[in-house]
Amino acid sequence: MNLFLILPFFVVMVLVAMGLYVALFKKNLIKIIMGITLMQNGANLFLVSLAYREGYVAPIWTSAPATDMVLPTPHALTLTSIVIGVATTALMLSFVIMLKRHYGTIDSNEVRRCRE
Amino acid sequence: MNIATHLPSFILGIPLLFAFLTPIANKFSKEIRNAVFLTGLLLTGLFVGLMAYEVYTTGGWVYIFGAQDPVGELTTESLFRITFVADGFSTLATLTIIITAIGAAFYSLGYMKESPGMGKYYTLFLLTLAGVNGMVLTSDLFNLFVWFEVTSIASCALVAYHNERGKSVEAALKYMIISVVGGLLLLVSIGLFYGEYGVLNYALIGDSVHGSFIDLLAIGIIMVILAMKASSVPMHMWAPDAYAEAPEPITPFIAITSLGALFVLFRLIFFVFRGAVEPPALGTILIFLGVLSMFVGVSMALKQSDIKRLIAYLSVSQIGYMMMAVGVGFATLDTADYGSFGAMAIEGGFFHMINDGVYKALLFLSAAAVIYATKIRDLNKLGGLAHNMPYTTFFFIIGALSIAGIPPLSGFSSKLLIYESVYLYHPILAIIALVVSIITLALVAKVFFNAFLGPDQKMSKGEVPSSMLIAMGILTAVVILFSLFPHYVVSEIVVPAMESLGVGA
Repeated sequence: MNLFLILPFFVVMVLVAMGLYVALFKKNLIKIIMGITLMQNGANLFLVSLAYREGYVAPIWTSAPATDMVLPTPHALTLTSIVIGVATTALMLSFVIMLKRHYGTIDSNEVRRCRE
Repeated sequence: MNIATHLPSFILGIPLLFAFLTPIANKFSKEIRNAVFLTGLLLTGLFVGLMAYEVYTTGGWVYIFGAQDPVGELTTESLFRITFVADGFSTLATLTIIITAIGAAFYSLGYMKESPGMGKYYTLFLLTLAGVNGMVLTSDLFNLFVWFEVTSIASCALVAYHNERGKSVEAALKYMIISVVGGLLLLVSIGLFYGEYGVLNYALIGDSVHGSFIDLLAIGIIMVILAMKASSVPMHMWAPDAYAEAPEPITPFIAITSLGALFVLFRLIFFVFRGAVEPPALGTILIFLGVLSMFVGVSMALKQSDIKRLIAYLSVSQIGYMMMAVGVGFATLDTADYGSFGAMAIEGGFFHMINDGVYKALLFLSAAAVIYATKIRDLNKLGGLAHNMPYTTFFFIIGALSIAGIPPLSGFSSKLLIYESVYLYHPILAIIALVVSIITLALVAKVFFNAFLGPDQKMSKGEVPSSMLIAMGILTAVVILFSLFPHYVVSEIVVPAMESLGVGA
């Protein structure tokens, strides 16, 4: 089995696991959002790697016979998911800005203590 | 070709279009903006009604976006087109959503009259409506992810509407992080399904799932994520915060996004997961989650003194009833027990979903009326409101008795179906359900005594504005209608929903 076909899936596992760890266990809100972005990239890479077929060409209709193209659907999905990722990240970051204004901190424990 | 086949796309397109017309209309005047918003909402309601009529007369159809023949079969050419299903189940879901949405919308017109930034508020309202409608109508896994995220973004922004309060922003960020992490895991499991079968359509995946390790992994992740979004215990921690901090008129609508996720979960269970798992095993998991939600939700509600948080925990416990009932139905699938009580359990569960959406909205809105009139949310400080607010008191009583399952109100009809059927599966389930109901009754009685009864303390200047009363009146009328004709609702709305999932009695 070709190592290069397996490698992306390892990277995906590392990215998603790392992102999940950061999002769950870090206290700094910016770091949590960075973790989520890592997960987003992992999920996108996963979709793109699913599409790859060895030796096939890019899915542009005019340049290849229909049978020899890599799968086009995951690429469309990935584009959509990147756009959604930008929107969610922007919204979360704006929440963090507002929290910083209210409580003067971006540490989730500090925020909880200020609230009480 | 019949124009009616395009109805599912209108149910999505109209709120999306009007969501972005609202801020433009806002440039002119408040009245035009409100008119545009209401037009969008009522048009959506009209199309939901038309779709319901079409579904009940013709029996439902699958709508393929962009295909030459939108109701044809999926061919190899149209394999990746987005499909929507207009069947009994999506009608049940969209009806629940639109009734609550209309209630919340009329309520917002009065409640939020003086608030700033209402152009954006109504935009987000309609976007949430489009998102939830998309979630329940779609039959394409990736499309589900898209609507899931649209709903998350719009409803989180709504939760943070009072951004001058730090707590609201904190609740919104919590909800957002959980939804986004959930959404990404959902995307990964969608990728797993795609990698294994090369299709994204529910029905096509449902045909080929066979219970391999990858199937089970993906099913596990999807179930956890949707149960989380449905605010089932133990993934409920975001819900009370988000419900309590959201602007009061929109709270029932945030709760409806949870119910929408539950609708999606049930559709996936019956469409997709059925071929991959042993029904008793998955049913037991659902029953377990349901019992946990019922019990933990109601016991957490016991110690709340904030009126909105209390109702939020009650709503978590009501989610448990539906999960338990459908779990019992699914566990008995394909056995002789299904005919004797399993179908009745699913019937009760689905009936409870539409009931719950409506009376929960009524409860949240009458609690909002209390907050509007007094500016106080602490139950220990409230009192004597019945003297000045007779209509709100009446609306609250109807909602409260319905959530507690007191005959002859609608909550009783659905809970009775659930008690009877789960008793035959295992008596202890019915006992737990009854105990939870009794505690619920005690809790709403506590709210009623604390807030409405007692000597007049001159807390409110009088009844709330008429548009808020109209909103509560509409919901009360629906609750009473469901209470008077439960048999009709079951046979005309619930049974077609079951038949469209292939589990008719």
